Amino acid sequence: MMMLNLMPTAFIFIAAAFLLLALPKGPLRAALLLLVPLVAGAQVWSLPEGTYGQFDLLGLTLDTMRVDKLSRIFALIFCIAAFLGNLYAWHVRDTVQQLAALLYAGAAIGAVFAGDLITLFIYWEATAITSVFLIWARRTEGAYHTGMRYLIIQITSGVILLAGTALLYRETQSIAFGAMTLGSLGTWLIFISFGMKCAFPLMHNWLQDSYPAATVTGTVILSAFTTKLAVYSLARGFAGTEILIYIGAVMTLFPIFFAEIENDLRRVLAYSLNNQLGFMVVGIGVGTEMALNGTASHAFAHILYKALLFMSVGAVLFRTGTSKASELGGLCRTMPRTAVFCLIGAAAISAFPLFSGFVTKSLILDETANEHYPIIWAVLVFASAGVLSHSGIKIPYFTFFSHDSGLRPKEAPVHMQLAMGITAFLCIFIGVYPDTLYALLPYDVEYRAYTMAHVVGQLQLLCFALLAFAVLMRSGIHPPEIRAVNLDVDWIYRRFLPRILGGVSTGLSQLWAGLSRALHETLESIVAFLFRVYGPDRGVAKVLPTGSMVVWIAILLGLVLVVNYI
Amino acid sequence: MDRKPADNPDSYPPLGRVLMWFTDPANANKIFGALAGICLMTFLADFTYKKYGHFAVEYIPGFYAAYGFVMFIALILAAKTLRIFIKRPEDFYGEKAIDCESYPEEELEQVGHDDA
Repeated sequence: MMMLNLMPTAFIFIAAAFLLLALPKGPLRAALLLLVPLVAGAQVWSLPEGTYGQFDLLGLTLDTMRVDKLSRIFALIFCIAAFLGNLYAWHVRDTVQQLAALLYAGAAIGAVFAGDLITLFIYWEATAITSVFLIWARRTEGAYHTGMRYLIIQITSGVILLAGTALLYRETQSIAFGAMTLGSLGTWLIFISFGMKCAFPLMHNWLQDSYPAATVTGTVILSAFTTKLAVYSLARGFAGTEILIYIGAVMTLFPIFFAEIENDLRRVLAYSLNNQLGFMVVGIGVGTEMALNGTASHAFAHILYKALLFMSVGAVLFRTGTSKASELGGLCRTMPRTAVFCLIGAAAISAFPLFSGFVTKSLILDETANEHYPIIWAVLVFASAGVLSHSGIKIPYFTFFSHDSGLRPKEAPVHMQLAMGITAFLCIFIGVYPDTLYALLPYDVEYRAYTMAHVVGQLQLLCFALLAFAVLMRSGIHPPEIRAVNLDVDWIYRRFLPRILGGVSTGLSQLWAGLSRALHETLESIVAFLFRVYGPDRGVAKVLPTGSMVVWIAILLGLVLVVNYI
Repeated sequence: MDRKPADNPDSYPPLGRVLMWFTDPANANKIFGALAGICLMTFLADFTYKKYGHFAVEYIPGFYAAYGFVMFIALILAAKTLRIFIKRPEDFYGEKAIDCESYPEEELEQVGHDDA
């Protein structure tokens, strides 16, 4: 254990990746994938606060292990998420996916512990490169193109981070990753880089584009790390930056409309993920100790219930071959346990009392009110009702209840049920014993989630929203689930820009064709002119007989003679 | 869906038979009634304790109830309107986009509940 403590946590995952390749395909590998997060989790848990694993690179000191309360809670939940995701993926025998899952988790944990921006950059890009294989592992043309788009955006975010780091270094002579103030170009670039990974509005669409394209198990693993790494980075670097409050509020708001009319349930969950990130970003923007506690705890709870929801929809996809709401319905008959787990995840994300979302989201909401942001507060309460609408109702209702689709799939495999069961248990455990989670938070917590006013207020909000849903369903106003795609920002780079580029290139090629035609014609006319003048039967080119030459020479000589005599 | 096998509850797991009750249209009114009852109770509960809050609106009895109900309907109507503008056919991004392609079967285990 002593030796283990000296090793950066990310290296445990990298070492395990080599070990994995040495093992035969089968349960041994799957067992290793479960063991590694446990070992890493134990290490994270036991490490005292401090900075470890320093080494020099080109005159710069890199801090690979900065352990404090903020980095520890994120690393811990990453370990738990990796364990649960790998348990869910127990049946997977694909080496690519296994390696990707392992290294991706390791990179995310490495990034969380990064004490300087260069280390952060290295792991930042590593998360991008490793995670894309979870999309490509689907091995279809659609997944290939989606993965490409995902990779380009993720790598760009890293490049911007590196540019920002370089500018900041020139300015401050330091690469330390600490609190920053927006102002210089360097800090703005770093902010934008974090924002890309955090799915800020207009930069968000990679999330909804790529997560539904990954494999059944890949999406569960993807959902945990990248965006929460960005949340951590923002909390570390830009806590109290006011603009984040407004960005976060917009993030909670716009995805709920898209989620409502989206047909692919894994994409609904991706929109929902975006909305949940909004709550965390608002917390970072408010920036008080309590708000940051709210963000950290909400990220912790969110990773669990979001994974649970992705797992339940994934199990349905695994058994039926589709995750489209229009094709599903009535599955509670033969997949009842998955249905119950899904309902628990739905209750947790909707923040019903006794479930995890309730005890974490309220920290952020209360702090927004405490700091006097009435409009933001109203937006967040509205967005909470919106969460209920797509994640709380739509996901379980249209999959497991609603009309009978006629599908009678078998219950999810045992290992998936086990993964969902443990995750569901944690969602309830955190809701019932919030102090266990509060004890892990970056700052001391003196907060009581379960007050009469709070419980009743939340129940009113949720129950009456449910009632509204029932009324809309009975009156036939609720939009039906139909096979369709909806336009979002990705339309710009999947349709508009290619069209513009196509148009420009057609225009350019036409212009080029015109120009070269004109040039050709000019040359042709010059050649024709020359031909006319110097052509074989023209005067200039006529072959004259030698006799006439002699005559001309005689004439010339005569002329010279005459001139001489004059 | 054209294939719609007759409901055969005896072959379902016990928990499935319980949950199935909620999908029966005959029970829709009961569920709606129960929900309305719970809503009424949460509203009445507002009068049983001393309220506190950061904003004046929070002291109005049933504020959260009204806000939840109204905003939920507004959300659905807005989303429905949004759909008019942004809905496109499933193959909008081409036949090879993930929206139209089917998930590779070899990675799935599509078995029915009564398959051996």
